Amino acid sequence: MSALPSGPGEPAHTSRRRLLTASLASAGALLTGGSLSGCGAALASDEGTVRLWDLFSGADGGLFNEMRDAAREDMPGTRLERTVLEWGTPYYTKLAMASAGGRGPDLAVCHVSRLAGYAPTGLLDPWDTAELAAYGVRREDFSEAVWGRTQYQDRLYAVPLDTHPFIVFYHPEPAAKAGLLTSDGALDTEAFSSPERFLAAGRELAKASGKQGIAFGYVNDPSQCWRLFYGLYRQTGGRLALPEGGPAEIDEDRMAEVIAFMAKLVDGRANPKSLDYFSGIASFTNKQTAMTLSGDWELATYRAADKKVGAASFPTVFGTPAVYADSHAFVLPRRPDADKGRCERTHRAVAALLKASRVWARAGHIPAYRPVTRTKAYAGLQPQAHYLAAQEHVVLDPSAWFAGAGSDFQNAMSQVLQQALLDGLAPDRAARAMVRRLNSFLSKPSPA
Amino acid sequence: MSSPPASARTGSRPARRTLPPGLLFALPFLVLFGLFMVWPMAQGLWMSLTDASLSAHDPSFIGLDNFREALGDEEMWRSLGHTLLFTLFSTVPLVAVALGMALLVHTGLPGQWVWRLAFFAPYLLPVGVVSLLWLWLYQPDLGLYNHLLGAVGLDGVAWLSDESVAMWAIVLATLWWTVGFNFLLYLAALQAIPDHLYEAAAIDGAGAWRRLWSITLPQLSRMTGVITVLQILASLKVFDQVYLLTKGGPNNSTRPVIEYLYDVGFTGYRLGYASAISYLFFALVLLASAAQFAVLRRREKQS
Amino acid sequence: MTTTHPPLHGTGETTPTAPGRRRPARGTEPHARRSPALGQSRLARVLALAALLLFASTWLLPLGWGVLTALKSEQDASDPEHWLWPRSGFTLDRFSEVISRGDLPLWMFNSFAVATAVTVLTVAVSAMAGYAFSRTLFRGRRVLFALTVAAVLVPPQLLIVPWFRQMITLGIADTYAAVILPQTVAPVMVFILKKHFDSLPRELEEAARIDGAGHWRVFWSVLLPLSRPMLAAVAVFVFIGAWNNFLWPFVSTSDPNLMTLPVGITAVKNAYGVQYAQTMATAMLAALPLVLVFLFFQRQIVKSVATTGLGGQ
Repeated sequence: MSALPSGPGEPAHTSRRRLLTASLASAGALLTGGSLSGCGAALASDEGTVRLWDLFSGADGGLFNEMRDAAREDMPGTRLERTVLEWGTPYYTKLAMASAGGRGPDLAVCHVSRLAGYAPTGLLDPWDTAELAAYGVRREDFSEAVWGRTQYQDRLYAVPLDTHPFIVFYHPEPAAKAGLLTSDGALDTEAFSSPERFLAAGRELAKASGKQGIAFGYVNDPSQCWRLFYGLYRQTGGRLALPEGGPAEIDEDRMAEVIAFMAKLVDGRANPKSLDYFSGIASFTNKQTAMTLSGDWELATYRAADKKVGAASFPTVFGTPAVYADSHAFVLPRRPDADKGRCERTHRAVAALLKASRVWARAGHIPAYRPVTRTKAYAGLQPQAHYLAAQEHVVLDPSAWFAGAGSDFQNAMSQVLQQALLDGLAPDRAARAMVRRLNSFLSKPSPA
Repeated sequence: MSSPPASARTGSRPARRTLPPGLLFALPFLVLFGLFMVWPMAQGLWMSLTDASLSAHDPSFIGLDNFREALGDEEMWRSLGHTLLFTLFSTVPLVAVALGMALLVHTGLPGQWVWRLAFFAPYLLPVGVVSLLWLWLYQPDLGLYNHLLGAVGLDGVAWLSDESVAMWAIVLATLWWTVGFNFLLYLAALQAIPDHLYEAAAIDGAGAWRRLWSITLPQLSRMTGVITVLQILASLKVFDQVYLLTKGGPNNSTRPVIEYLYDVGFTGYRLGYASAISYLFFALVLLASAAQFAVLRRREKQS
Repeated sequence: MTTTHPPLHGTGETTPTAPGRRRPARGTEPHARRSPALGQSRLARVLALAALLLFASTWLLPLGWGVLTALKSEQDASDPEHWLWPRSGFTLDRFSEVISRGDLPLWMFNSFAVATAVTVLTVAVSAMAGYAFSRTLFRGRRVLFALTVAAVLVPPQLLIVPWFRQMITLGIADTYAAVILPQTVAPVMVFILKKHFDSLPRELEEAARIDGAGHWRVFWSVLLPLSRPMLAAVAVFVFIGAWNNFLWPFVSTSDPNLMTLPVGITAVKNAYGVQYAQTMATAMLAALPLVLVFLFFQRQIVKSVATTGLGGQ
């Protein structure tokens, strides 16, 4: 493991670069962005501007803008300038490249699951917890499940904005008709509490809707299969440890059990067999299906189609409560030039955004900052309040440099799973193939 | 031509006497060449022998490990295969269609200006524009091509998400985008065919078809060789449109080797390993160049 | 414009011909321009015209569809039922939305600045080097020229990783300089210009030399004026290449304010999600500059491709 970004070794590096910079400065001055004012590549950012990179577009993007507006009064004189980049692998590639160049944005959004691939590489700067506390953001304001993943070598590298679990959405009418709702209108999770019951509920939903039961869009998707699989696998009590160099410690029998269940779920009769991500959404919004397995971030889409759409934390199918989730967090891309003013501005801006994150709940996400979710106003938010409990049992991707949202790893796992769901690959063989791929990731040297 | 010391004397400033003027003229280029060609090539070679990464840690020397790993890396070979497949699939139509277009335009039919604009304009578009446009044309539910297929009663095609179609879809977009370049080269070659050849053939009473086969195509054969060489070398370097249209997907089934080295180096942080793959790719390009050089040489001797 | 071909030549050495016009066709009808390939057959002409029309419409169709979409409202653009004709009519609103967002004009400016800088530097540096290799003698000239020719084979794609590292080392990561400088090394252009200077007669410069002109005067006042068409051809080619270059600008810029057109329009997303009509408006606006330039300078561009595109082969 290398030293922290501010550790030893850094001064020598910087001074060598300074020397080279100085020797080239005269020739390069005309060409570097800094001299063309207004083009934004100046070394120190503009007075009062915090440049943020994020990956929120669609409904999320609009709500983020609203949240920024709501946060404005808590950060007087600071302008938050957003750049929305394409979500997925390219986002993280670009973020790492910008940080390596030392001219990244002041602030960036990053999935907490990706932190293991960032913090040890020296591509991020740690947060100043005292500074954050001064603006009213403390450790006890966050749930342990997420907070535990924001640290590296006892320093804070990510400030969580939300938790976004993988949950279930349903249309209340067919769900009620199928007898799957409790008296207060919430989903009766008992009816989903074993693989057999879950599948039976799907059949009931299909009957009640007159069409099909449960939609799951996964074909050619780089993460959907993995999201469903890993949450369920952890429900079996199975564990996954990824020691450096391998081999992976994982329970193949339990994997196969989960894969078999997933393959039965997309049977092509009660539930659609081969939906890609967008046709999965469409089949639910068009009411071709009565329920869908989906991330909470699609709430706005679903609600646009059905105002009364219901939601619930992912049912415990295999005994142990566990809900697959991830968390959007704020990180500080590495900047070799320390700047007190910028540091203060970013800390204050993040605190202001967290306090305004009730707006963010409308996007479907569970705000990570608990003072927001503890309010009455939040308890009144439907259906968000119905899956607030999910955050107590969240399971994030295993902590490894190659894992996390938008990673090759998720894509590789999803590809194998898709073969089991779509092309009839036997569950035990699929499990073995996944382990093989896991070990090949582990055999690669960590970049840190 | 004067000898170096003599030409130095013709230079005006005595202070520069130590540097011959020729070198001074070449110097700006040589500086840039050294800085941005020789140095990075050397650095790339060095990095390929280390575990250099995007992160801040210091690289350590690991000998030929990267090359050893690359040679046994299934994904590397797979992506190399995609590059070769793309080269094969794209070169044939890019040469043949360009030739067809040039022959048709060269018939002297009215509207020369329009034809040239239609065929060459796409080449002037930045690849970003090309990819946005074709993503939209290929959009499964709303794109033009599936609408057109629907209009004649056919099922829509999952152009970019079906593994058996995606590579062809990329080839098609590439053909549309870059064929204009080869088209112009052919047109220029057609216009350089001496008139007297046709005149002589006309006197012999050769019909249009005969003239095409016995004069035009043989006269174009050298140009065809050159265009094919240039096209193969260009196609081997494919990255832009694949990256922008499919990101190498679905399931990495279209990922070319350049994208693989980008993915390995920047997404996977492994700059050292990516450098090793760069050099393997370079070896391939050199091999292709050498083979083509040999073929062209032999053909020239024959003619 | 429609009846004459621009003078084209396959390589720098071929003399321009103006085919068609001067060529007496079979028989003697001075008014009809006879094509060498088709002769008099009416059927052949009709068939050829049909084939051309088919090709041309296939090639123009994508752009037509792009423009059509850009003129629709978002709702009409994503209406699978009325996919051809918009229900609520045509509108220029998408274009004004894109322009008012402001980043497209910025990326256009960046592309223009980068392409201009690359072109000026490349042409200047390559012309001087071409002159040095063609007209002067110095120790190491042969070796350096051989190295230059060999470097033609090096694909720039090979260098992105070390270049990226180098820009960090030089402290110019994510600046215009980082985008521009690596693109200015063009061994092909040195080679082409050297061959071009070789082909120029030496009598004129001998005269200047007798008048006491040094290398710089010979280069600047004798050879360059003679080479204007060739330099223009090289410049046009370099400019198009730099304007459309994707991989290196994509790798070297992270700051959206520094991105060039092809990188910006694909990397940066709209906060409000996928909007097809707006995306097409962006694409069509981004396509405009070079297509307009082509409309006005078709002759020069065609010539540039024909002379430079072969890379001196």
